[in-house]
Amino acid sequence: MKNLLRDIRRSPRFMTGFLIFLFILLVSILYPLLSPGDPLAMIGRGTFAAPGTYVSLYDATSAKTETLLLPDADDKRLAAAMSDADRAAMINYFTLSGVAIDDLDPQDTDRMIELWQEIFDENNMPKMTNAQRRDFRNLDKRLKELQASDTLYVMDMGEDGEYEQRGSVSKTDYVNASAVANAKTLLLGTDNFGRDTLRELIYATGTSLLVGLVAGIVATLIGLSLGLLAGYMGGIADDVIMFVTNLFTVIPGFVLLILISSSVSQDMRGPSLVAVIIGLTSWPWTTRSVRAQVVSLRNRDHVNLSKLSGHSMLRIVLSDILPYVASYVVMAFILQVSSGILAEAQLSMLGLGPKTTTTPTLGLMMNWAMLYSAHTNGSWWAYFPVILTITLISFSLNLMNTGLDQVFNPTLRD
Amino acid sequence: MKKKTLALLLALVMALSLLAGCGGDSNTPSTPDTPPAETQTPDTPDTPPAEPEAPAEPTAPGGDLPRNETLYFGGQQWGEVNSWNPVGANQNNAMAIASSAAGSRTVMFETLYMYNFLTGEMVPLLADGDYSWNAEKTELTVKINPAAKWSDGAAVTANDVKRTFDVGLEIGNPSTFHPYISEIAVTSDTELVIKANLDNLNPFMLEDFLSGQYIAQAAWIDTCLARNNNDAQGFLNDKGEDAPYTGPYGPYYSDDQKVVFVRNDSYWGQDASMWGKLPIPKYIAHTIYADNAASEVAFKAGEIDVNQQFIPNIQDLWEKDGLPISTFYDHAPYGVCATMPTAWFNMNMPVIAENPALRKAIAIAVDYDQIIANAMTNQSPSFSEVPRSVMNPTAGEQALYDHDAVKDLQWAGNDVEGAKALLDEAGIVDNDGDGWREWNGEKISLQAVCPQGWTDWNASMEIVAAAGQNIGVDITTYFPPADTYYPTVLTSPTQTEGAIFMWSPPAAAPSSPWARVNALMGKDYVGMENNWSGNFGQYVNDEADALIKKIPTMTDEAEIKAAYTELTRIYLTDVPSFSLMYRPDKFHSVNESVWTNFPNESNGIPPLDCTDGYGIAALYELELA
Amino acid sequence: MKGYKKYFGKKIIWFLITLVFAVLLNFILPRLMPANPVATITGKLVGGSTDAAIVQQTYEQYMKEFGLDKSMPEQFLIYVKNLLRGDLGVSFSQYPKRVSEIISSSVGWTIALQLPAILVGWIIGNVLGALAAYIKKGFDKVLLPVSLFMSNIPAFAMAVILLVVFAVNLKVAPLAGGYNYDMIPNLSWPFIWSVITHYQLPFWSIVLVSIGGQAIGMRSMSIYELNADYVKYARFLGIKDRKIVGYVFRNAMLPQVTGLAMSIGTMMGGALVAETIFSYPGLGTTLMKGVTSADYPLISGSTLVTTLMVLVITFVLDIIYGFIDPRVKAATIE
Repeated sequence: MKNLLRDIRRSPRFMTGFLIFLFILLVSILYPLLSPGDPLAMIGRGTFAAPGTYVSLYDATSAKTETLLLPDADDKRLAAAMSDADRAAMINYFTLSGVAIDDLDPQDTDRMIELWQEIFDENNMPKMTNAQRRDFRNLDKRLKELQASDTLYVMDMGEDGEYEQRGSVSKTDYVNASAVANAKTLLLGTDNFGRDTLRELIYATGTSLLVGLVAGIVATLIGLSLGLLAGYMGGIADDVIMFVTNLFTVIPGFVLLILISSSVSQDMRGPSLVAVIIGLTSWPWTTRSVRAQVVSLRNRDHVNLSKLSGHSMLRIVLSDILPYVASYVVMAFILQVSSGILAEAQLSMLGLGPKTTTTPTLGLMMNWAMLYSAHTNGSWWAYFPVILTITLISFSLNLMNTGLDQVFNPTLRD
Repeated sequence: MKKKTLALLLALVMALSLLAGCGGDSNTPSTPDTPPAETQTPDTPDTPPAEPEAPAEPTAPGGDLPRNETLYFGGQQWGEVNSWNPVGANQNNAMAIASSAAGSRTVMFETLYMYNFLTGEMVPLLADGDYSWNAEKTELTVKINPAAKWSDGAAVTANDVKRTFDVGLEIGNPSTFHPYISEIAVTSDTELVIKANLDNLNPFMLEDFLSGQYIAQAAWIDTCLARNNNDAQGFLNDKGEDAPYTGPYGPYYSDDQKVVFVRNDSYWGQDASMWGKLPIPKYIAHTIYADNAASEVAFKAGEIDVNQQFIPNIQDLWEKDGLPISTFYDHAPYGVCATMPTAWFNMNMPVIAENPALRKAIAIAVDYDQIIANAMTNQSPSFSEVPRSVMNPTAGEQALYDHDAVKDLQWAGNDVEGAKALLDEAGIVDNDGDGWREWNGEKISLQAVCPQGWTDWNASMEIVAAAGQNIGVDITTYFPPADTYYPTVLTSPTQTEGAIFMWSPPAAAPSSPWARVNALMGKDYVGMENNWSGNFGQYVNDEADALIKKIPTMTDEAEIKAAYTELTRIYLTDVPSFSLMYRPDKFHSVNESVWTNFPNESNGIPPLDCTDGYGIAALYELELA
Repeated sequence: MKGYKKYFGKKIIWFLITLVFAVLLNFILPRLMPANPVATITGKLVGGSTDAAIVQQTYEQYMKEFGLDKSMPEQFLIYVKNLLRGDLGVSFSQYPKRVSEIISSSVGWTIALQLPAILVGWIIGNVLGALAAYIKKGFDKVLLPVSLFMSNIPAFAMAVILLVVFAVNLKVAPLAGGYNYDMIPNLSWPFIWSVITHYQLPFWSIVLVSIGGQAIGMRSMSIYELNADYVKYARFLGIKDRKIVGYVFRNAMLPQVTGLAMSIGTMMGGALVAETIFSYPGLGTTLMKGVTSADYPLISGSTLVTTLMVLVITFVLDIIYGFIDPRVKAATIE
């Protein structure tokens, strides 16, 4: 036993997998303890705020400013307002309006803007699509903003309706982000509900791990007991159990899962119930393999010896057979956990997962991200971390499994 | 080392089998019958394009649809077309058969009039000139345009209208209009009189008939009845592939991937009395996508020109992605909102029916700005911009009630403290300390329901549920598939599954806002089986009902305004339901990479996907980009 | 021979019993769903009608039409009787279409997508696995973790990633559907080409996910077989490498072939998510349509096809094993 543990510890695969898994597990346990709060709080108005640090603009106007004279500030400002695509669009507009622009250099900002102001007329657009007209109007607005004066004023409307100046902001004013009273770092931005994606992800990972664990335990327990029974007892019991197992094998598990999940009304469908359902549909292959192993053990000498000594069946199964299949069962359990997590995600993607109001799960996050087209509008933070987390959990579990496999079956070692 | 040699050999054997596998694969397409691969690219129109002439004889479909002659639609047709029978049932043929008083889709079958919800006008289609009322507003006379022809060349007659209406009664499948119309009398081939049912007098519904009822051919109805031995179900389920139509497009091709219509170049509407020309696109096609996401991606790629689909953050499509996509307005809310998706309270449940305070508390606690910002991504005006009432945000309806009189009753939402106070005051408090309020000693547990996959609605229900959490009322969401939702929640008069559930009252139609008020509080719908029309929550208020019954016969504008103001007051006090957002009747966004000159703020054509109501006028204005 | 007879006889009996119960389960499970499909179709059929009597009449007519007015056991008998005639009944949601019609049109798509994808994934996976077993140090160190990682990307995630990268960002592959949006099916080269290009993304999403698992399995089996006693013994006897490879190949492949057969058997259920994401018109999409509209006959029909495939494959495997697996041979002689 001690040797076995040492071997396991020395298996690089197992340890890599174990460490990844441990990390994910610890984060999902510790983070909620260290930073409690509702993971589903909708802190953002609007969808899919990009990852980054958000500084309160309101507070920033009253924060202590420093004057920094950065040489490239103006260029950057210009580039933000007037991209190369904008310049191309302006040239396009000039051409459409029939202006001679042979000698116009698109990079000559001053001339471009000057000409634009001279020629652009919102009410007199040449023949073009509505989309183009709108884009030109928006471009014009941006260019006008670019012409704003160097100092902007912050005004407050008092009770009497009069504006009172509270401060001013000039082009060279900077505030230290830490000096602003309110700033929030959203490492993974927000999702379609304006929730903190990172926080939601961590809580969801916890739920999914739980679902996987429960599903794994249920499936392994059923699979193990049926496998032991069928393998050891043989005869009619074996036939009946294997018949049921075969029946569950021929109806693909996921199809069965869909049918059962849609039969359970959604108000009952909490994460743990979904986990149990997953467990109830995924035991057959554990049964099959355990039975196969038990059949080969059944006639070993030490088992026969036990039988002759008049030991009870329970005792024989537990002390003479179980230890020999234990290594296999551990591995099967690990795989069951990982497929349980996956099954929850897939169910939720099809809208058949746990009910939704109180607990985030990885599948639900994925589902909402897809519903709000995060994948097509470039909001990678709303779905990619979810995919990555599922993959990492499942990868780490499988890595542990291969590691164990090599320890238990020395021929597989490198 | 021998071991390695062995394994290498083994690998070689495998590699060879892979090659064999690949070889087999790549051989499949180059069987002798098919031309060699290198000569063609997918775009080469090597099959002759469907012949442009010979409109009478449908051309054999095949090959490409010329892109610059085809207008692609999205977001209307889901699943394969079932039938082409204009008076049948369950056709699942969205592009051809989608009638509604607010704007029937007149691509293939036509109505007497087209409603223009921007102006409130009725534009004649099969009809000739304006319709006229008799003095008592009990009879409505309509003339048929003598130029109007069926696709088989026969003239459209007043009898076609009568037969279309009568057949519903004959086969025991009356329409929504039957309770209001006693008879359609034919006075000549081109003139008919629609007579109101005097026991159920409602001029609005007669007008809705004009824009909401497709006309089918009388002769064909008889043929169809005969071949089904006058069996009602047989008739309703008849595929109707031979049904003559009056519209500009007829069927061309249909399978589980797409449906295509081809222009009928002898369409009667090119007569000077109607459009004076043919619609521009030769083909109208709708690819059948699996879901919104697939359809949205196709729209962005330019594979859909006109899209009836809610696209979250639609402005990103041009601001971020620089795509040639546009909407009716350049700015939020991007479309013309004409209806308001509403959360209905289920009065079958005592806890809801007996506690107006609970209803109001939930309604004022909901964060509507969040719904509008997140669920609708700002494609709706907020409730501070357009205060809640029974009216949609259009100027015409907003003028119909006295804003100041109900100002104190309106709420903008997110009033958690106010809601808590209301509940405390009503004695709905948390006695057992579990964080949830009880009523009659039982924890209040409500289910908020709407169909699965209706993205913005699902998100709204989540936000309603969140409001419940905030005020100590346990609300959970439930999103069953639409086909489960309809019979078990929405249309069932006795359900207790959904305590709060969603549906939209009628949008802008000739009968609005009356039809909407009736749908929100009308008593006629209470207890009705298979109720798709209104008052889904079974709310009974006799005072409101009496007013609703009276409005259709009122003529004095001040009186009408007073009545609507009073109804608004009752609605906001009793809260039988509450609107969650404003929303366009149809979403309408266009990709201008192939076609342009779509409806916009300046050309006066309503943004109804170039097909619905007067929106179809857009098909005659299109230009190639 | 008598032993074989007994072995096969037993297998056939179990096959038949399993078949009966599978049919029974396929029949019952969908009908446990909390929905009323007839109310839905009635709603659609009576359209705007609000007359309760008419609604009731239509409702009853369809209850009768679909046989739902009879008791469950009676319904089951009718179902089996029709089944024996190859009739899967009428679809509720796509009434009056027949289920067999809907399924036969979608099965083609699924087989065309899955079969090649499974084969290619299997072949590439096995070649890589065998190579890994041989080259061990370098290749194996990289290949094993990579395959493991790849095989752990959920199928739907792989589908989404491929969609985003190739269809949305790079725009090198079409987005959805079975053929080009601007085409109408015909037997021309452009159309066939269009079908092939639309095939790419769902195809590769299945291949990429399956390679990893196959590679790992093959690698283990190869290493195991290469170290087996009989190889050492054979080599000791001086048997030519080429001949030994033959044996090793056969033995290492045997479980892999079983795996292949099983994945072909389960392919109908396996493609569900990939098909859904790419809007591919196969059996998975059909099944989901059935589930969302509580279309019992359609669900029963699609699951039955899936079940039959698995059942037949397992049965055939059992029979083949009977001939080639020495242990079974031994058992029959016993």
